[in-house]
Amino acid sequence: MVGEELVGGPFLDADGMKALGAALAITVTGLASAWAEKEIGTAAIGAMAENEGLFGKGLILTVIPETIVIFGLVVALLINSA
Amino acid sequence: MRLLERLWGKNPYRKSDKKKKGTSNYAYAVTRVRAMKSKLLPKETYPRLLNMGIDEITRFIQESEYKNDVDELAMKYSGGDLAEHALNRNLALTYDKLLRITSGELNYLITAYLRRYDIWNVKTLLRGKIYNASVEDILESLISAGEFTYTFLSELAAKATYQEVIDTLKETDYYPLLQEFDGTNLAYIENELDKMYYSSLFAAIGKPRSKDRKLFARFIKLEVDVKNLSNLFRLKKAGVEKSDDIMPLMIEGGLELKPEKLASLPYEQFIDELRKTQYWDAISSVAGLETASLTIVESRLIRYYLESATTYSHVSPISIVPIMDYIIHKNNEVSNLRIIFRGKEASLDDTLIKDQLVVI
Repeated sequence: MVGEELVGGPFLDADGMKALGAALAITVTGLASAWAEKEIGTAAIGAMAENEGLFGKGLILTVIPETIVIFGLVVALLINSA
Repeated sequence: MRLLERLWGKNPYRKSDKKKKGTSNYAYAVTRVRAMKSKLLPKETYPRLLNMGIDEITRFIQESEYKNDVDELAMKYSGGDLAEHALNRNLALTYDKLLRITSGELNYLITAYLRRYDIWNVKTLLRGKIYNASVEDILESLISAGEFTYTFLSELAAKATYQEVIDTLKETDYYPLLQEFDGTNLAYIENELDKMYYSSLFAAIGKPRSKDRKLFARFIKLEVDVKNLSNLFRLKKAGVEKSDDIMPLMIEGGLELKPEKLASLPYEQFIDELRKTQYWDAISSVAGLETASLTIVESRLIRYYLESATTYSHVSPISIVPIMDYIIHKNNEVSNLRIIFRGKEASLDDTLIKDQLVVI
């Protein structure tokens, strides 16, 4: 296995790998949803500047990518508890 | 280390170039513009407006998006003049707003596009000065949506002769051409100004590399085609068939039309040739041999242009096209309202006014 010499070695044991995996899951999804929310957020602001009534819709659409990071969080928790 | 050097800049220009260009922030600009487009007058409004008198229409406009403009100018003007000034002011402010909310390449291309209003203003000023129109009359037709400010344009309008106007424009790109103006060749100068506008616009686009520039170039080419085609129709109707007479009036750089090929054809063959182009569907029902009215053909062409802009804006939603789409639709709305106003003022027949309107 690749990285076999690392696992159980002095630097990284199985728990360390798990922690790293969990960290990766939450980091990448966090960045991804931030990027998506940035795009949608600016668009929503643009629409709201013209029509304040769009505030509700804009807010909902803006937080939808939040699901990505929630999935990341779930995966991270699963990895940690496994 | 070498990699880092390459990334961070042995080349001192690299960073500053990037900074100057900036990002365009499409998501923001495009949605905002789309929201603005949703506020344009719906097509059901026009039949209602046609049934109203001038005062009623002014009141209607006062309650719409043009409220601020009408309110602000109501002290100075009244009736049709008020509407005309309010519409022009609104158009200028709207385009100014587009420039404020965009940045980077988007802003650059829109600025280049809006220079057409500078040309429009220069033409208006020259025409006004030649025919000795009053300063108020000239001011009424000026639209300060380009690079010239309203204050500068008012100064120009207050000049006594066209020569003084031209002298004041010394610093601009138009000066070399305007120098040729001798008071009699207005038509020539106007054509050349238009050609100059399109060639400088194509120069501003350069060799289109980015997706945006490609779309923008296509958009402009379509416009050139529509302009050339309506001019060709007019010329053919007037019986001009010599290629040498027609070609100086054509703008170069169209999308599909080949004016050099169409110019020498007689009317029937010209129509046959048009059947092969994408414009035929739009004008087929009115461009038959016995059609009398050019206004209908022209308004069909403009409608085709507007509609295809909307279609493209759906094909490329995050690009410059939705913004251009808004620009031309707004322009169309203002010109429609102006047609209604002026038509009502001259007490034209409603059907005649209706034929002139381009309603989408």
